[in-house]
Amino acid sequence: MAKWAWWSGKRVYWVIMVLHLVAILIFTRGFLLTRTELPFHSHCSDVSHSPCFFNSSSHRHHCWTEPAVGRLLIIVLDALRFDFVAPSNIFQEEPKPWMDKLQVLQKLASQRPSSARIFKAIADPPTTSLQRLKGLTTGGLPTFIDVGNSFGAPAIVEDNFIRQLVQNGKRVSMMGDDTWMQLFPNHFNISYAYPSFNVKDLHTVDNGCIKHLLPSLYQEDWDVLIAHFLGVDHAGHIFGVDSNQMLEKLEQYNVILQKVIEVLESQSGPGGLHENTFLLVMGDHGQTLNGDHGGGTAEEVETAIFAMSFKKPSSPQQSNFGTSFGESDSVGRDISISSIQQLDFAVTISALIGIPFPFGSIGHVDPKLYALGAGMENFEDNVENCQNQSKLQEWMQNYANVLCINSWQVKRYLDVYSASSVIGFSSEDLLHIADLYAQAVEKWSGTTKNLLISNNESCNTVLPALKRQIDVYSNFLANVAELARSKWTEFNLMMMGVGLGIMLVSLSVHILAIKRTQKQYDICFTSSGDAGTSFGLLFACFIVVIRACSFLSNSYILEEGKVASFLLATTVVTKLQYLSMKKKMLLEAIAFLLLITICRYTIEVGLTKQAPGSEFLNLHTSWMPRIAPVWMFVTELVPMLGLIFLAFLLYKVIYSDYSAGIEKYVMIGTNLSYVLIAFHWALESSILNLSWVLEGVGRNSIPRIIFAIGFGQLSVLMFGRVVAKEKSLDCKKNLITKTVAMLSACSSTIIILLGKQGPLASIAAIIGGYCITRLGNIKQDANNESSGNLTMDPLPVTQWSLLAVCLFFCTGHWCAFDGLRYGAAFIGFDEFILVRQAVLLTIDTFGFSLILPVFGLPFLVACQQIKVQTRKQVVFAQLSLAYMIYGLIMATTVTATIICVTIQRRHLMVWGLFAPKFVFDVVGLILMDILICLASLYYLVSFDNDSL
Amino acid sequence: MKKKKQQKAKREAKGSAASVCAAEAFGIHLICGLGLAVAFWAARNFYSINLISNPSLTLRLIWVIECPIVILLYSHYRRNRQKCSYLKAVGRGLMGLPVGALVNAFGAIALGAPVGIKYLPKTINWSLMMSLFTVVPATSVFGSSWADWQRIFAHTKPIEPIDYMICIPAHGAIIGAWFGAWPMPLDWERPWQEWPICVTYGVIAGYLVAMVASSGFVLLRGTSQRVKGD
Repeated sequence: MAKWAWWSGKRVYWVIMVLHLVAILIFTRGFLLTRTELPFHSHCSDVSHSPCFFNSSSHRHHCWTEPAVGRLLIIVLDALRFDFVAPSNIFQEEPKPWMDKLQVLQKLASQRPSSARIFKAIADPPTTSLQRLKGLTTGGLPTFIDVGNSFGAPAIVEDNFIRQLVQNGKRVSMMGDDTWMQLFPNHFNISYAYPSFNVKDLHTVDNGCIKHLLPSLYQEDWDVLIAHFLGVDHAGHIFGVDSNQMLEKLEQYNVILQKVIEVLESQSGPGGLHENTFLLVMGDHGQTLNGDHGGGTAEEVETAIFAMSFKKPSSPQQSNFGTSFGESDSVGRDISISSIQQLDFAVTISALIGIPFPFGSIGHVDPKLYALGAGMENFEDNVENCQNQSKLQEWMQNYANVLCINSWQVKRYLDVYSASSVIGFSSEDLLHIADLYAQAVEKWSGTTKNLLISNNESCNTVLPALKRQIDVYSNFLANVAELARSKWTEFNLMMMGVGLGIMLVSLSVHILAIKRTQKQYDICFTSSGDAGTSFGLLFACFIVVIRACSFLSNSYILEEGKVASFLLATTVVTKLQYLSMKKKMLLEAIAFLLLITICRYTIEVGLTKQAPGSEFLNLHTSWMPRIAPVWMFVTELVPMLGLIFLAFLLYKVIYSDYSAGIEKYVMIGTNLSYVLIAFHWALESSILNLSWVLEGVGRNSIPRIIFAIGFGQLSVLMFGRVVAKEKSLDCKKNLITKTVAMLSACSSTIIILLGKQGPLASIAAIIGGYCITRLGNIKQDANNESSGNLTMDPLPVTQWSLLAVCLFFCTGHWCAFDGLRYGAAFIGFDEFILVRQAVLLTIDTFGFSLILPVFGLPFLVACQQIKVQTRKQVVFAQLSLAYMIYGLIMATTVTATIICVTIQRRHLMVWGLFAPKFVFDVVGLILMDILICLASLYYLVSFDNDSL
Repeated sequence: MKKKKQQKAKREAKGSAASVCAAEAFGIHLICGLGLAVAFWAARNFYSINLISNPSLTLRLIWVIECPIVILLYSHYRRNRQKCSYLKAVGRGLMGLPVGALVNAFGAIALGAPVGIKYLPKTINWSLMMSLFTVVPATSVFGSSWADWQRIFAHTKPIEPIDYMICIPAHGAIIGAWFGAWPMPLDWERPWQEWPICVTYGVIAGYLVAMVASSGFVLLRGTSQRVKGD
């Protein structure tokens, strides 16, 4: 017996809780990549802190770098595959129909290699538009938890290059995809946003872009123009890459690009509008042949950037320009293609325009793209050659200087980040990075600077020195990017595996504990009396497993509430089969089915609220105004009636023989709370117009009183548990009294936090709980007479947990961060204190799905009408078994979520859907473990002492 | 037809219960299955519709064609032949149709079928079809004998071949419908994911499989009984 001692009695709950906690912590460390968003911004004046060298003080009027381009035109083609742009002859396989469609870009790249170039741009997953735009503009890596993110709204709070443009007086115009408007709500001077919501619509966004793009090219009212086309993305989603619609879209783009380039060209003369304009045609991410994107496969992450400078070359160096022009008519014969990381985009463009680099950027100014924008080409080939010495030296000096600023900015970010973030980098990584940086700086200030200042060295010494300097900086920046990638975008599979393993161990501990308790007290799961498996057990397992499997698909996670109600209804329907045997309690079953139907309907309403602009809301807004006054009256009145009904129920309990002693006073206290809640709502309602009273009383005082009463009730109950001895001999009656008191103590707080839906949800919970209890008893009735065995049917417990899930969704929650009801956190309080508001939010979120079900579970045991003599120990054993089964059901579900998240970690929706679901489930599981431990302390009085 | 009459005579000689031999069970199930096929064929050739393009009308076609087949066939095997004439069995089968539809519709809505004016005709037609597969055969055969109903649907303990022929296809249709509902929430955006199309596919698949199983059971039982008898 001693061997098993540690998991006997109540201790097993604590053991399981610790196991869960450890498993989840380890798994989360591996899965949820966290990066703290820093609220800092770069400023022009910051650069004076850098060790970098300014070649002459006369250039001090510019900001960080010397502006190389005047105006910037960015054309974003959503989901632009690399092979849409690149010439087909660079690929090994046969040319596909969708290749070589953007001929104008290829032609320019081959004809004018000094001013136009195609880049292969490599994105970091997740390759979804919103995440990519975030990455492109901030120069950082996207992660799941952006701490400090404003709740709900996706607007970027981190420093980014659009913000820098605006701050430095550049006028930014935007047209096309409205994702930009979500990210940058008030940054644009002029914006023509079109909804990106409807994937089936191939043309609205594109036509809108085309309508505004060409006229804008003649305008002077912008410095940076962004045009975001969505057609290729949508065509891919609907028809796939190898489709006529896709080819038509690409051909359409070819024509538009041709026109745009013609206009730019015509205005690019000296003094023209586009004298110094830089054109970028780029994709935000690629797509697979089926048109999917989001993951990290080569097809998805590889996209293209076409860059073209309209600055007329002034140096004689580019004399080959004229000869190559018009000569290579076969497209793509000699196109050189270089590769660039999307990470580097923000900082390179910032350097070209001459604005401060975004604070959180970890990119590195790309030499090729920067050289192209700055009008300097092929500098690397000429290093050994001293003929172009002065020009080359000036260029390299400039680039080394930019890299110096770049490195300083990245180092500053890393320092600030590791100082302020909870989960930073490991100290050895930081040391390594600091070491590299110190080397680079030392080299810069020690040797290179001197070389440049003395200025009379021959090119043979200066140029190699500069080259080495550039290499040192590039090495440092590459190391930083690699470190950041490994910390911020790669899952730690080993940790995830270990976490999952511990979770599975905890499940087996759970099962062993259940088996042991079952053996010890000779409780069986079956109705037929033998210890083997039964239909009820098998069916409960089937329901739990099928629910667990449903988390593999994002669709079922989206509709989780409906899936739960479907399964719950299925259990009731199968129960109906048994009931019709006995010809009784059919009414309860049908009432329960009706309740489930109503629940499902409210879940649907909740879901439609989640997706704005859906059918349901449109339908309702049309007739809402007509019945508005009646509707308002009903919505005010029904919760009140519900509250009165609850109070009445409690009143009946108080004056029945179920209440005694402390519990009685607790229940009376709850009734007082109900009256206060009703009073509070009456004051708030607009019908009675009593707001003057509110001002007198203070709108926060009543909720606070209710919280205080609730807290008082809980402490009294706990105190009573410690002090009082068992009074009544009938332990079942005692258990019911305790449960009612506990539930009533919790309910008032939960109801006021949930608002008007609270009473109705409570009534639904009471009816549901009553039906489950009654339906669970029917079989025991029948069988206990014959066998005399104690049974603990797992099916009612399963139903209990499914009902809890339904209630979670009924009360307007869903597993996403915008599904939290932030308003509830501020009931009774105006100012924000993290811990207090988080507690309120937790009570609101998990009130009906965890707190009440866990504390209400004893009903299932206590209401059994067993005719055999009931010893106290046996009842407690049954209760602890019920808690173990309930915990096991929840733990199985969460384990399934964890497995699904692991499998789907590269899924398109992993950050949108799977990860929030994971967070909700994990928090719920830990909370449930804590609640079960508390409940076992409260209910299982003197269970341990006797059982050992 | 002649053979059938002979059998009928034999059964009547035997008394109240009508026993069914394996070939007969197979024949009845075959005719029910053929009725379904005819309904689909008619929908395609005369109305040029199918379950996806016009679920409501197709479902109506199915139940209108299946209704006489099921009721007329199963009424042959009514219980209590002395008290209950063939016409009475047909009559109660017809009465059972809307009642069963009501039960099925309630079950479907409790399990998640959408409610609304748009879905009303679909739900009505679907539940009438379901009623023909589940409730109507039992009403035709058992009438209001609660004990028999309980034996078939609550205890799931069929004894005679006709019990198998009622019980197994009904359960098959319901289980098929339950599984047929699972693809509905998926985001494939296919037209057949709408209520009640894929559920109907599930029903029909379950019904057909169950009819084969039921024929097999009747056959097995028949042989085993013969062995016992010998």
